[in-house]
Amino acid sequence: MEGSLFFWHTNSDSLADFKIGLNLAQASDATSLMVLACNQNDYPTQDLNILLKTCLLPIFGGIYPMISHQDTLMKQGALIIGFQETYNISTFSNLHQLKDEDALENYINSQLEEKLNFHSDNFLMFFDGLMNNVEDFIDCLFECLDHGITIAGGGAGHVDFVQRPCIFTNQGLRSNVVLLVTLPSKLTTSVAHGWKIFQGPFLASEVEEQTVLSLNYEPAFDLYSQAIESTSNYKFTEGNFFDIAKRYPLGIEDINSNLIIREIIVSQYGYLQCAGKIPINSMIYLLEGDIDSLIETTEQTAIDLFSKTTAESAQISMIFDCIGRVLYMEDDFARELHVINKHRTSSALFGVLSIGEIANSKSGAIRLLNKTTVISTW
Amino acid sequence: MNKALFIISLQHELAMAIGNKLDLKAMLKVFLKVCFNRLNLTSTHIYIHCDENNIPTKLTPLETNNYQHLLSIPKKKQGKSWVENSALSHFTAQLINAQENISKQCENGRYFFGFIIPDHGLLIFETHYAIDIEVQKALLPILQKLSTSCYTSLVHDSLVKEVYSRQLVEEKVAFQAQHDGLTGLVNRQHLNVLLAEAIEEAHFNKKFGCVVFIDLNRFKPINDSMGHTVGDQILLILANRLQSLSGENIDVARFGGDEFVLLIRNLNHNYQEVVTEIISDINQLLAIPFVIKANSYKLSCSIGYVFFPLQSSTVNNIIKFADIAMYEAKRNKSRLGKQYHSSMSDKIKKRLAYVEDMKQGLKNGDFKLFYQPQYNHSGDIIGAEALLRWQHPIHGIESPAVYIPIAEESDLILNIGQWVLEQACADIHKIEQLSLPNTFKNISINVSAKQLIQHDFQDKVMQAIKANNILAEHLGLELTENLLVENIEDSIKLIASFKANAITSSIDDFGTGYSSLTYLKRIPARVLKIDRSFVANIEQSNESVAIASMIISLGKTLHMNVLAEGVETIDEFNCLKMLGCYQYQGYYFNRPLPFEEFIQLFN
Repeated sequence: MEGSLFFWHTNSDSLADFKIGLNLAQASDATSLMVLACNQNDYPTQDLNILLKTCLLPIFGGIYPMISHQDTLMKQGALIIGFQETYNISTFSNLHQLKDEDALENYINSQLEEKLNFHSDNFLMFFDGLMNNVEDFIDCLFECLDHGITIAGGGAGHVDFVQRPCIFTNQGLRSNVVLLVTLPSKLTTSVAHGWKIFQGPFLASEVEEQTVLSLNYEPAFDLYSQAIESTSNYKFTEGNFFDIAKRYPLGIEDINSNLIIREIIVSQYGYLQCAGKIPINSMIYLLEGDIDSLIETTEQTAIDLFSKTTAESAQISMIFDCIGRVLYMEDDFARELHVINKHRTSSALFGVLSIGEIANSKSGAIRLLNKTTVISTW
Repeated sequence: MNKALFIISLQHELAMAIGNKLDLKAMLKVFLKVCFNRLNLTSTHIYIHCDENNIPTKLTPLETNNYQHLLSIPKKKQGKSWVENSALSHFTAQLINAQENISKQCENGRYFFGFIIPDHGLLIFETHYAIDIEVQKALLPILQKLSTSCYTSLVHDSLVKEVYSRQLVEEKVAFQAQHDGLTGLVNRQHLNVLLAEAIEEAHFNKKFGCVVFIDLNRFKPINDSMGHTVGDQILLILANRLQSLSGENIDVARFGGDEFVLLIRNLNHNYQEVVTEIISDINQLLAIPFVIKANSYKLSCSIGYVFFPLQSSTVNNIIKFADIAMYEAKRNKSRLGKQYHSSMSDKIKKRLAYVEDMKQGLKNGDFKLFYQPQYNHSGDIIGAEALLRWQHPIHGIESPAVYIPIAEESDLILNIGQWVLEQACADIHKIEQLSLPNTFKNISINVSAKQLIQHDFQDKVMQAIKANNILAEHLGLELTENLLVENIEDSIKLIASFKANAITSSIDDFGTGYSSLTYLKRIPARVLKIDRSFVANIEQSNESVAIASMIISLGKTLHMNVLAEGVETIDEFNCLKMLGCYQYQGYYFNRPLPFEEFIQLFN
């Protein structure tokens, strides 16, 4: 137990152990439960669904590639956090079926209206990270919700990028779902990535949603591979694309020279497939990073964030850190967790390694981020 | 260099975002979203110039500015519409006033940037940073392009509206072609189309269908006495009630007048049960009184139905059979509905053949008038009732109880009625040549409903009188009580008009109808005829005595003579006389006599 929270974690990958934790949580003073689990766990879906459906308390959370507790990275196991306050959950289901903006907008409005007296400015968002229209959803959500909300979130899913049910709800484990969780206290967030411009700018001359077809009117992969191969020792061969690409993400520059990172997942037919949309005609940079500078940026961000809060004003801290950063930093990722944990003022710190992160931009809009760390505290 | 590239790429992207949609609001929303994302805006808004009806329109020189808020991203601020936001409203007013691009730093560190969309509107950005002047300048050609696109959208919108209104008109025309004007139900023509489809479907799906034919009972008297407005209201209420039965497999149509049809599709082998249940529903819908202008009307209906493709697979036959079944239900006064049976058609065929026989009989002179004399209590002859007899060449003497209702169903009753009128007048002429007793009043003929509603019935009567050169007072008309009730207002006028021409009228079969005394008082008839059912064995029946007494006293009150029909015995005669009835007709005196025998009575 940490503070007034119920806190339980296990490194076991068995559902039987998870069940013990869930029973303890239900027997505690908690009124809402956040459940975070690793995708390596051996949880038979049917049995897990029975546990979720029979759970007496509202549940939210998801199955993530990895999770973290304080400065420990957990590749298997689970965390259950019980809150004494009621965390209101709005569930947005079957989003893959909503093909256009109007349908999304109508659906979001109807779901929000269902919650009587729905008014909050502070949200956590748990979503299926492999859902194909998550950016359309957050655009519409921002338009519908209100001006001036604060939000943090991360995409759940499996690290093999095959879509499976991954969001915990009281109706069972679900896919193509977004959970919007209202927080009872003020949420403060801070965003860090640490990636630096390596080459560019390039004009995203042909783009289809998340796929960059051409940069500066040249096939995207040709330009990307030439830029890397000509200035490094890396050579792209069949089968090593992601090993190199995880070191060189793309950056979209906004009008204030901020970079939004886009991880390149695969290359096919000379195109680059990213983990988020790239606006056509936008300015794209090739980015590089070194582990030290990435961690330094994270540390600075943690210092900035925790200097604004106290143990009283924010008891809980949660990290939404990109799985891509773990894949890039490998064992050094423990240092990133360590620097965050070192500066925390809250009693609890935990997090997820996510497929896509959610945070507000400086303008207030909600953005989908890649290869980024979002530290939140409330 | 990077900045220049950024501005070019920004311009390019914003320009590409213009005109992607034709609808004005949708087009501007796409543009606004790109602005929002690419320019890192906190909020963004569009106001559009509108005409006096607040319809977006192009701003023309010398026109007063009327900008209306159209769009904002995000939609609200702190739960309230942006229209209510004083900072934005204030800045918008400044922009309208300036009519050029302006900017302002707010107290919270945010900025407003306002741009004019030439001839069309205002574009406002709220930012957390100051937008570079180069970027602002780069927006100017974009705004010009946006203006052109706004104009295109407005033209498109007006075209869409025009097409839509045309579509509405076309839909209305199509609807009117397929639906009844009064009730909005499917009309007869469209029912035929639907039925043809349903037959095909039934064959294809190996299912059954049913046509249920509904006809209101005694609707005409209401329509005639209360006026068509009330009648129409009743039909409308009924249509709405029947419409409640409609669904995926049931269409409700108005076939015409007070006839409605239910077309039922997709029935399984329990078709009979389903239809029986629907008929019960129809009767329940009718059981609720029809309340119009504080008056309550109770109606019932006759229902006939036929199953397809079991009983027929052609549209015309199915409708015809359901209609035949409905008539059969009406004849039998059945409330449960009648399923069509081929024997009904045989009956109809026989009827048609019978009607043909009657026509032939009229031509061949097989019809004769017999006269049943009428007497006063002193035994003086006061007149006679002309009764029709038909000597069928094969069947012999046919009963009027059989052929009159059949003749009434067709227009043949008019031919027969006309023949009766003319023959009676001709016979009266012959009688007038005899020495008639002072007590003799007239020879009366029976008038049918169809004759009575003929607009020229009176002319025809007067013409027959004139043609035979007889005294009008020697002709009397007998109208049944039920006939009068069905068309009371017109009947009153007609009887009064005959009376003015010295032709007297009798109310026949009195006591069997449902006359309202109020109406009876207004009917200028001379004679009330007590129905034979109250006369038969009257001396043995207190009930008949009571009714006869009531009719007799009513006659006295209304200054009408009372004549008893069907007097067959001396006891009946004595009883009636004792009750105060002094005019009689019946076998006790004479049975109906051939004309030649009848005139012997005057010798």
